[in-house]
Amino acid sequence: MAAKDSPLKQFEIDPISNIELGGYNISFTNSSFAMLITVLVITLFLTLTVNTRSIIPSRMQLISELMYNFIAQLLSDTVGDNGKRYFPFVFSLFMFVLIGNMVGMIPYQFTFTSHIIVTFALAAVVFIGVTILGFLNHGIKFFTFFYIPGVPFYMHPLLIPIEVISYLSRPISLSVRLFANMLAGHTLLKVFAGFVVSMPFFTGVFPLAFIVALTGLEILIAFLQAYVFAILTCLYINDAYHLH
Amino acid sequence: MPQLNPEFFVSQLFWLAVFFTFLFVFLWRVSLPRITTVLEKRQNKIDENLSSAKELQEQAMEIEKKINDQINKAKLETDEKIKETINVLQEDVSLQLSSLDKDLEKKVSDAEKEILKSKDDQMKNINNEIVNITKLTVGKITDIELSDNELNKVIETHKGNFN
Repeated sequence: MAAKDSPLKQFEIDPISNIELGGYNISFTNSSFAMLITVLVITLFLTLTVNTRSIIPSRMQLISELMYNFIAQLLSDTVGDNGKRYFPFVFSLFMFVLIGNMVGMIPYQFTFTSHIIVTFALAAVVFIGVTILGFLNHGIKFFTFFYIPGVPFYMHPLLIPIEVISYLSRPISLSVRLFANMLAGHTLLKVFAGFVVSMPFFTGVFPLAFIVALTGLEILIAFLQAYVFAILTCLYINDAYHLH
Repeated sequence: MPQLNPEFFVSQLFWLAVFFTFLFVFLWRVSLPRITTVLEKRQNKIDENLSSAKELQEQAMEIEKKINDQINKAKLETDEKIKETINVLQEDVSLQLSSLDKDLEKKVSDAEKEILKSKDDQMKNINNEIVNITKLTVGKITDIELSDNELNKVIETHKGNFN
């Protein structure tokens, strides 16, 4: 699999500058660079487009406002008034994943969301944060989250472990969903890109056309996965407030 | 699969923490408050315009009411004046009519009196003529001279036959 033109080669991390801190390798890599680009795009776009603070927005300002309202609406629909506090976090998460996915759609750019360690870290932050929030809101009563009311008592020995496992698997499902989508999409693009080169004569236009279509689909998935990540975060926050 | 190679795990986590924390803090403290301000400012402006529009509408309604009141008042006043004028005119007319009536009655009664008087005069004249004619005729035919008194008696007795 480590062949020179493996479709997985695009996910390899190359250090740009080697840094070591306390014995740990924290080199600035192409992945870190993609994160830097992502953060710069988000901060600059959201800052510059709203710079004039005009009541009648320009087109660019309107885009920023649309994103703002999109997440604000999402949060108020799922969590309600309690959700306003978490708006900056959910918005940052959504924008980070969305623009990270979009930056990955640029040819030869690295996609950091295709790395399980990155998505797992994000999901773990959500999971730990939501769990702490649940305990802060309900104290020890938070454990009743695993108890489903209105079920025959002899089912509980079966249901409670299932609930616990499903709760604990949240960060895994959340992170693997995003990671696997990005991995699969980019691998597929790369495979078909290989066909364009390797097929004889002009038959390479067919996989090329397929790549064009697939790129559109990937952009859709890039948005969709960011949306799914954000809405699941909202639902988890809601669970921490309203146990059942 | 490069994703499962732990060589760069620490580096990935470190830079993710750095960049995501920066992004979160920046958006939380700088970008999002700006957008919030703009949206609130717009909402305030819209509310302000709506309330001022409502106020203006109320004022307009008040003015309309005033105008209607004045129109009604003016109408009532005009009606009153018209009625008064009609009354005055009617009184005047009836007064004049009654005075005309009186005049006419007087003239009619005067005329009647005159007519009666002239009738009497004529009747007297006719009687005289009858007497004269009768006197002449009788004188010519019979040579009898009749006195006026006799003739008058005869004529009086036959008067009903003439008429």
